[in-house]
Amino acid sequence: MATRVNLDLHDELKAFGGKDLDLCYNCGNCTAVCSLADDGGSFPRRIMHLLQVGAGERLRHSVEPWLCYYCGDCSTQCPRGANPAEAMMATRRYLISRYDWTGLSRRLYLSNAWNIAAVLLVIFSVLGIFGVAHGPVVLDHVALNTFAPVHWIEFADLLMGGVLSFFLLTNAARMAYWILGDQGVPRIPPSAFVKAVPEFVVNFATQKRWRRCGTQQGDATQNRRWLTHLILVSGYLTMFVLIVLFLKWFQTDTVYPIYNPQRFVGYYAAAALLYGTTAFAIGRWQKRDEIHKFSAGTDWMFLLLLFLTTVTGLGVNVFRLAGWPMATYVTYAFHLAIDAAWLIVQVPFGKWSHFLYRPFALYLVKVREMAEQAAREREEGVPAAA
Amino acid sequence: MSDSQDTQRRIGVFICHCGGNISDYVEVEKVRQAAAGEPGVVTAKTTMFACSDAAQQEMTDAIRNEHLDGIVVASCSPKLHLFTFRAMADRAGLNPYRYVQANIREQCSWAHRGHVPEATVKAASIVRGGIAKAVASEPLATMRIDTKPRALVVGAGVAGLRAALAMADMGLTVYVAERSERPGGWAATFGRTFARDRSGAEMIEDLLRRVRERENITLFTGAELVGKSGSVGDFTAVLRVANGDEITLNVGAIVVATGFESYEPSEGEFGWGLPGVLTLPQYKQMLDEGRGLRGADGRPAKTVTFLYCVGSRQGEEVEGGHRYCSRYCCTAACHAAVHGAEQAPGLHQVHLFRDMRTYGKFETIYEDAQRAGSVFLRWDPEDPPVVSNDGGRLAVRVRDRLLGGEELEVPTDLLVLVTGMVPREHATLLNALKIPVGSDGFFNEIHPKLRPVETVANGVFIAGAAQGPKTIAESVASSLAAVSKTAAMLLKGYVDLEPFVAEVDEARCTWCGKCLDACPYKAIEQVTVDGRAVARIIPALCKGCGGCALPCAENAIDVKGYTDEQVLGAIDAMLEETA
Repeated sequence: MATRVNLDLHDELKAFGGKDLDLCYNCGNCTAVCSLADDGGSFPRRIMHLLQVGAGERLRHSVEPWLCYYCGDCSTQCPRGANPAEAMMATRRYLISRYDWTGLSRRLYLSNAWNIAAVLLVIFSVLGIFGVAHGPVVLDHVALNTFAPVHWIEFADLLMGGVLSFFLLTNAARMAYWILGDQGVPRIPPSAFVKAVPEFVVNFATQKRWRRCGTQQGDATQNRRWLTHLILVSGYLTMFVLIVLFLKWFQTDTVYPIYNPQRFVGYYAAAALLYGTTAFAIGRWQKRDEIHKFSAGTDWMFLLLLFLTTVTGLGVNVFRLAGWPMATYVTYAFHLAIDAAWLIVQVPFGKWSHFLYRPFALYLVKVREMAEQAAREREEGVPAAA
Repeated sequence: MSDSQDTQRRIGVFICHCGGNISDYVEVEKVRQAAAGEPGVVTAKTTMFACSDAAQQEMTDAIRNEHLDGIVVASCSPKLHLFTFRAMADRAGLNPYRYVQANIREQCSWAHRGHVPEATVKAASIVRGGIAKAVASEPLATMRIDTKPRALVVGAGVAGLRAALAMADMGLTVYVAERSERPGGWAATFGRTFARDRSGAEMIEDLLRRVRERENITLFTGAELVGKSGSVGDFTAVLRVANGDEITLNVGAIVVATGFESYEPSEGEFGWGLPGVLTLPQYKQMLDEGRGLRGADGRPAKTVTFLYCVGSRQGEEVEGGHRYCSRYCCTAACHAAVHGAEQAPGLHQVHLFRDMRTYGKFETIYEDAQRAGSVFLRWDPEDPPVVSNDGGRLAVRVRDRLLGGEELEVPTDLLVLVTGMVPREHATLLNALKIPVGSDGFFNEIHPKLRPVETVANGVFIAGAAQGPKTIAESVASSLAAVSKTAAMLLKGYVDLEPFVAEVDEARCTWCGKCLDACPYKAIEQVTVDGRAVARIIPALCKGCGGCALPCAENAIDVKGYTDEQVLGAIDAMLEETA
């Protein structure tokens, strides 16, 4: 069956951010300079071409966009200014919107109005819930757990976590189905799904593959960005653990001494988040690195909400320590509202899903490699050297 | 040679070292000694560089002091220095046609490196041949022909009209003969043209207005050139007009600017004949009319696909195919894509090309087409695109070389076959003008680089796409080149022609008529001398090809400068056994 050229899709991909992809004349310089192009030499050139002809089916089956970390070498070397790196970014956005079966993601990516409206809707809903369903407001001292009882918050956390996980995991399942269901992937031995798990864990925790990327700009630039990202991730994961596993300990009216881990671990996480979001926001503002030259509305929204969540979270802590009850309660309500907006809009439907899709893509590549290895062994009749 | 042993000629021979180009492989001193012993040779010298000023002075002095009546310079190819040494002879007072160049470089030293003794023997024999030719040489004079200050331009397209204007402004009287009823050619049918988007129709309108303003231009429409006689500077041209009347014009030169035809695909070639399939000129017309781009079903077209190289660069599998690149079509198709995107924003355009040749400054048009949202896919002539029309849905299947030969299907509302230029059918004109066409069917110039608008017919010049595919700009450039050659000749008032023409020995001629049949230039006429019919050469028409000399049973025809005596003498001398 011939692949159908679909120029409506071509136009749509321009709307996802690949606006210069028309300029590509397929010289292949992007592949030549890409430090990660090792799969037969067609990365990212092949994706550029699929975008141009609007080969939706082929794109959906492609894992390559997730293997690109946007060092921008290809874009700086491109003789046509076709911006392959940004086209890869646009493809990731497109793929997120395709993995998402609700169609919401597509709306959020293609319309800033939808994006802002969704965020505001969540924020006002959460504030509204607080408006009608908060606990007693104690004003002579700070009693956050009276205003917002921790077991209710915990329940809400878990509810939201469950719902978001459902969306995210079903999306990931579609991703796996498409990538592994590509023609040409041999039968997969069931054990491969387990054996490839370390690939996921290591890449999730370290993004180590990223460090091989961007050799044109020198190691310093890449290391700086990788490190900033790692700090941000570490802050986020720490905060995530504190909130999901230790909320009863973390959200408390008791003031622990500064050397208590509840204090300094929390401060580390907040500092890491502040540093990371600020550094990336400055980068996007200054457009110094190739990756930050083009910022979609969703990119700014991502940073803005994460930054505001951190700031309001710190605010709650400051007001609590200062003994200002009303300020604490109001800031807390905003903190939860913004955090919820960030999570609901970005996790299953937006940029934040990359925390899962990227390591998951490497996991799928590993599974595929194992399947191919197994197929070779079947063909040769003897086990190949491990 | 025995019969020239007692020659009274005084020949000078000069053997050139050419730096070491000759003397490294040929012992020039031995050649000189051999030459010095030849009959008729009164002086033989070697020289480091014969073409240098000092050496030329030395030769000039020798001609004068030794009263030489012929010289031989053994050096390089006559292509390089024939005219140099002819001019030198002329300065010294020696008839330039008694100078002979013996080529011992290209035809000897360079060809036989490392074989010095053999090369030396060969060089000596080449020089002997040159001496024999010089001994038999006669003084000749160039032929001076007065030119008429009038020119005929054949074809009133953009090249012809522009040429007519330029020549009229130089004071020449110009006749323009246009075969069709409507002047302007292809350019008049075009709206926006690349590179500056100027309308072709407006350009022609402007040229025609200026043509009408000039009293020294006469434009004939519906007029075909059916006859040409006379010679350079003084032609008689016959035009046949629509009612069958003939008009006779006396002109000094003819500029042929008959343009091209657009390639017409054969039935079924890339879907030709299917609804929605059209050629580039047809699509261009649709664009220029500006009434919207519509598919075969009459609805606005959403997708336009361009299929390049239709009728161009055809392979051996197409018998009598067009092997050449039409060179304008890539740019024209990209330009049409830019135009289409402006007219129908959001129009999807796919270009199926073989090689993109938007050469020179037109490269930006290719980029503009890309920016306008065109998608370019390259196809392989080994596996060309296939056009289908299943259930009224037009589509092209093409193997995508960038996806490892995977087949892509391009559904499209309009398919534009990007057709090239082919030569016009004009047998009558060819018969009248007797100028050669190449294997591609376009008129041939004498030299593609150095004599690009001259033909082998003296006084007949070619301009524009009649010579081969050209853009409007290139056509006009070549037409003005033809103007400069034409006007330089006609305004000077005369032309000098080389004297190497055939000559009939009227005493021996019996008028059998074989020479008349053999002459491709109609340069032979029958005259009566002392009551006998004999052949006579019209020197101004004769090209000196020698075609008439060969069939002459009476051996009555010789070509001046290449007489039997000279040529056979040279061959005998070269074959002479030496010790």
